[in-house]
Amino acid sequence: MTARRVVHEPSKLVMETRVSPVAIQRSIWDGRIPLEIVLAPSESRTYDKTDPYLISFPRISYLPALLPKLRAFFSTSLIEPDSKYHEGWFAFEGVPLKWHYPIGLLFDLYAGVDPATRSSTPNPDPQEDESPLPWRLTVHFKDWPVEELVRLDANGMVMNDAFINSVKEADFLRNGTAKGIMSLSKEDSSGLWKAVEDVDLPAFQRISSILLPAPSQPFRNVPIRVFLPLPPDGDSPSLKVVQSPFPPSISTPSVQASQSISPRSSPSVQPQTVGGVLHTLLPNLFPSRRTPVLAKPVLHGAVLPMSAPIEEVIRTSAYGDGWAYVVVRMMG
Amino acid sequence: MAQSTLSTFPFLAPAEFKSACQDLADRCTSAQSTGGWSIRPVTQTCPSLRITQYIDVHTDLIQDPDRHEAYMAQMVEDEDPETLVRTNLKPKLQVDYDIVLSPSYQVPVLYFALRWLHQNGPVGLDAVYQYVVPEQYQTQMKTVGVMGGISMGYHPVSGTPAFFVHPCNTADAMTQVADAQSTTPGMYLLIWLGLVGHCVNLHIPRELFASDGARPSCSESQ
Repeated sequence: MTARRVVHEPSKLVMETRVSPVAIQRSIWDGRIPLEIVLAPSESRTYDKTDPYLISFPRISYLPALLPKLRAFFSTSLIEPDSKYHEGWFAFEGVPLKWHYPIGLLFDLYAGVDPATRSSTPNPDPQEDESPLPWRLTVHFKDWPVEELVRLDANGMVMNDAFINSVKEADFLRNGTAKGIMSLSKEDSSGLWKAVEDVDLPAFQRISSILLPAPSQPFRNVPIRVFLPLPPDGDSPSLKVVQSPFPPSISTPSVQASQSISPRSSPSVQPQTVGGVLHTLLPNLFPSRRTPVLAKPVLHGAVLPMSAPIEEVIRTSAYGDGWAYVVVRMMG
Repeated sequence: MAQSTLSTFPFLAPAEFKSACQDLADRCTSAQSTGGWSIRPVTQTCPSLRITQYIDVHTDLIQDPDRHEAYMAQMVEDEDPETLVRTNLKPKLQVDYDIVLSPSYQVPVLYFALRWLHQNGPVGLDAVYQYVVPEQYQTQMKTVGVMGGISMGYHPVSGTPAFFVHPCNTADAMTQVADAQSTTPGMYLLIWLGLVGHCVNLHIPRELFASDGARPSCSESQ
């Protein structure tokens, strides 16, 4: 074993706590967010005295799935009883929430909850009144914010279309062609969306195994989007998203390699890491590839290790559409 | 002028896209007439190209009962309907087309947003097919994907709702009609526009080719 190998060995912590990819994916699909949803006071017969709707909602799910239940729950309170459930939209602190993003991402972006780290235990007693949980959202059934949200339709086609478009994009990045998703049978294509809607991991795994390249065959590029921190009191709800095609590995003509006489240590291929991607995309926020200095990356409510190989992160921890949506959180 | 060929054909690299946008905008500036096009490069955050067109909506009104009613009510209010028709109060659709580079597909994508002039109301996908997609592309555009070849999404720069033409087959299509050796970034964008633009009523004005006589064959249907 050359010295170089030792340098790049993952930290002992990683080795000790390594869990199987399947277990990581399982726990992501099991992840839930407690929601407290109130009807917009201006749309309620009882203004702000309407009982809230409480639900523990899967992180990988999308908000429109709640609309039929919410419409029924609030039906007696609505000033305008004729509104349809697909006219419903959600806001957090006045910001309309983009329904085409899974709620786990929206929560990581807006809720302001401290992400979990390897060592952290859930804080049992955050300042009582200011506890961010349950996450308090407002549902509206009128005055659709046309400048901010794409309208939904009664039979869910718009939502389904948005999901499949996102799947196609991820697939294109992974394979370099759109042939995978295009050649998926109609049954499997709608089955993929149904599996996400139903949070049915076995059904999802069956279909996504058709789409994903075999583990022995690396991705061409990794489907990752990085969401920048929102300005503290920004009026503009427009999200800043950074994306660029990243191959899952990098060639490193490392210094050690050039100094070594071992024939084995010619320029080698190393996995691209979370830190490598962030440093390349956002060098000011991530001046180091190894250590979060100014900001930390959050996925599924947890801080991502900078050393994690990016392809592994996506294979285990992508959302249902195949993307890793990483939220950048400022430190301190 | 040094004309570079394309480094990632059938894809387009960001720098090539930027130069292609500039090239097309320059063609517009130097052409005698731009056939009704208004075009400008937008470069504050990422390079893109904005083309604005207007669609006159007249006989189509009869197909849309709501709008027809509103239109007729307006007509009745006016003493002489003949003059009204000639005034600029006739409903018009403003279409803002934006060409941006997709970081996933690494090809240009055509986004467009519609707005009524002299009339209120939302513009949904039904209006796109009614007023924007030419007759001969209707079937072809409606029968692919979950909702057809045009989807609703978010404009990558402004974040506001916009329609876009699906880009997932663009690279394959470009391979069919162009080649890496002889295609400059500017030509790439023109050929692409010839392929994608027609289905949403965006035709390259012939005036833009007057200077060099180079016309991509796929734009000849207009």
